[in-house]
Amino acid sequence: MISGQSEKRKLITLLGPPNSGKTTLFNLLTGKKYKTVNYPGATTEYSISKFTDDHGISCDLMDSPGIISLIPSSPDEKITIDNLYEHPEYGKPDVVIVTIDASQFSRHFLLAKQLLESGFKIIIAITMNDILAEKGFYIEIAELKRILNTSVLKVDPRKKDDIGILLKNINEYLDADFEHTYKHVNYDEKKLLETFEEIGRIEKSVINFKIDKANKHLEELNTSVSGYLPDKMTIRIDKIMLHKIWGLFIFLIAMGGVFSAIFWLAAPLMEGVDHIFSHISDFVTSNLAPGWISDLLSNGIIGGLGAVMVFLPQIIILFVILGLLEDTGYLARGAMLIDLPLSKIGLNGRSFVPMLSGFACAIPAVLAARTIQNKRERYLTIFIIPLMSCSARLPVYGLLLAFLLPGQFILSGFVLSLIYLFGVITSLTVAGILNKYKSSIIKIEDNSSFIMELPVYRIPRFSNIFKHTYENSWEYVKKAGPIIILFSILLWFLTYFPEPDKYGYTNAGKTDNSVLKSKVTGFDENSENQQNSDYERISNSYAARIGKFIEPIMLPLGLDWRVGVSLITTFAAREVFVSSLALIFKISDSEDENIRESLLNSMKDARISSTGEKIFTTSTVIGLIFFFALAMQCISTLAITKKETGGWKLPLLQVIVYTGSAYLVMFLIVNALRFIGVN
Amino acid sequence: MTIADLETGDKAIIIKVNLNHPSSYRILEYGFTPGQNIEIVNKSIFNDPIAVSLRGTLIAIRKNDAKCIEVEKN
Repeated sequence: MISGQSEKRKLITLLGPPNSGKTTLFNLLTGKKYKTVNYPGATTEYSISKFTDDHGISCDLMDSPGIISLIPSSPDEKITIDNLYEHPEYGKPDVVIVTIDASQFSRHFLLAKQLLESGFKIIIAITMNDILAEKGFYIEIAELKRILNTSVLKVDPRKKDDIGILLKNINEYLDADFEHTYKHVNYDEKKLLETFEEIGRIEKSVINFKIDKANKHLEELNTSVSGYLPDKMTIRIDKIMLHKIWGLFIFLIAMGGVFSAIFWLAAPLMEGVDHIFSHISDFVTSNLAPGWISDLLSNGIIGGLGAVMVFLPQIIILFVILGLLEDTGYLARGAMLIDLPLSKIGLNGRSFVPMLSGFACAIPAVLAARTIQNKRERYLTIFIIPLMSCSARLPVYGLLLAFLLPGQFILSGFVLSLIYLFGVITSLTVAGILNKYKSSIIKIEDNSSFIMELPVYRIPRFSNIFKHTYENSWEYVKKAGPIIILFSILLWFLTYFPEPDKYGYTNAGKTDNSVLKSKVTGFDENSENQQNSDYERISNSYAARIGKFIEPIMLPLGLDWRVGVSLITTFAAREVFVSSLALIFKISDSEDENIRESLLNSMKDARISSTGEKIFTTSTVIGLIFFFALAMQCISTLAITKKETGGWKLPLLQVIVYTGSAYLVMFLIVNALRFIGVN
Repeated sequence: MTIADLETGDKAIIIKVNLNHPSSYRILEYGFTPGQNIEIVNKSIFNDPIAVSLRGTLIAIRKNDAKCIEVEKN
């Protein structure tokens, strides 16, 4: 066993119950250099890193999500535990460091006990000794070490000596030869009860009270050594946070705050990003000779890149807010507050976090649903997540609202929150309907339960929040970026080629003089003629041929082939819609406008060539908003849903139900609005 | 009587956990074991789930799950 491992770099895994100071210790040991392994689901991400140089240890340190026991009860925990026993890439751990909150000793010790029984070589790091000291107690480390016959030490991240001793222990353990055979522990209820009794005995023999405070705490000592009452400040705050009226009020304010922040805070930043990219694009076109290279660079690549970056501010803001809610301890309260209403429609309080993450991106949200133990509730949560208005829809809504309500920022913000609300209401309705017919759609019966630790309220640790925000946002750029740029280039190719024949065929529907003139003269400095030649180019392009094929299903919606092609591209990612429209309506950069303004201007003039009808009118734009609110248009989400539910049934149902109803609803809205005279 | 029957502010001691309940295993893992002192600290807006203090921490638990924890009121 040992020889087989000798080539492998040594691995230390850091494990611990939630809120046991695990992440703080990880950051301390590894510094700023780390990388995230696995997909960054809100709960399944974990970091792996080397020790910082000054620690003189050459091995990998793996962080892992908090768990309370080695017996998994949700898919989320199963992944963590499977990776602990044997990580597919990094193998078996040589040493496991398990963190235990001293003031939570009797609960947190269960995990350490199970690890010892499984045969892991463990170092027990006791954290938060100061909190225990405030209660008037301390842990006799030497005695605990003697009982367990394993390494036990106090770790206060602020004390250099503590870390030094920890490192010394790690080194000693790494040097020793060791069998990497770990057995899975099997605890039945009886064993669990016995273990807790044993832990109780250990607790009594290692936790002592400090003489000076002895009298005050004798009463608590008699019941459980470390007392049963949690942090008094937390209980006081909860009196308000979980209050029947104030609690609900604060919950609604918090949720409202999240969505307005996404819009209000991000708007100026997005404007800035847009400006930067239009300037780069301008720079390219004015410095390169006109032709396909300049066009590919400015419209295909830079335009596509701009489409990715423009809503990065929103994603960052959303992750910061989610991080704040989680780190202060409020997220668990939110889940608790809405558990009962959600349970009525077949969901769970634990659906709260995945649904909230769905406003950023459906992919981490679907992964976050792994924390839901009940399979049916988990599948139902995954099913409705795409209806949460994800950040990819924001640029689309931003464009459509700017068209509908030009210059009216306050009203736009209000309408945007209504769109969000529409998404929430639809998702809850869908969940309710599916729950009613649950036996025919999601055929799983499982025990529905809600048990969740409510962490102590604390001041958020901004360094952790920023770290997570950075990881998630960067992951987004890495994942969405290449797809968007690829589609941008592909679409550019399809709209730019074939090279128009200067004296050749007439193009569909457009035969006025200016077009003929531009055909004859080819490239023209005159911008009007340039636009016309652009129009001619695009209406003979490959994209047009595809678009015209699907035009019959677009016309009932009041849209033409160009919007149809743009809608097809949204299956790569919804946000591509904006850059597709820009490409397909050939927004050539004018000097004093940014990309968005010139796109809005050409949208105003766009007409369906066969009928001469305007494409973007009040009715079609409102219809498009509803279309985007409902349609299932994201291949990545479908793929992750398939993976998480183990089949195509749910994702296919999503496409049929959501995209089908999106088409139907848009058709009804456009025609109803036109019927009552709103064009 | 079970935890689900208690009112906010009530203190009690756990007598036993009904092992026939499907959530009993998880409940034990969270540390709801016989002999432990608990207190109902809060209830959610709709009176369910409830917040129970146990072993120095707060646990939110649905009444349907809590009803398998038998207690004696102090």
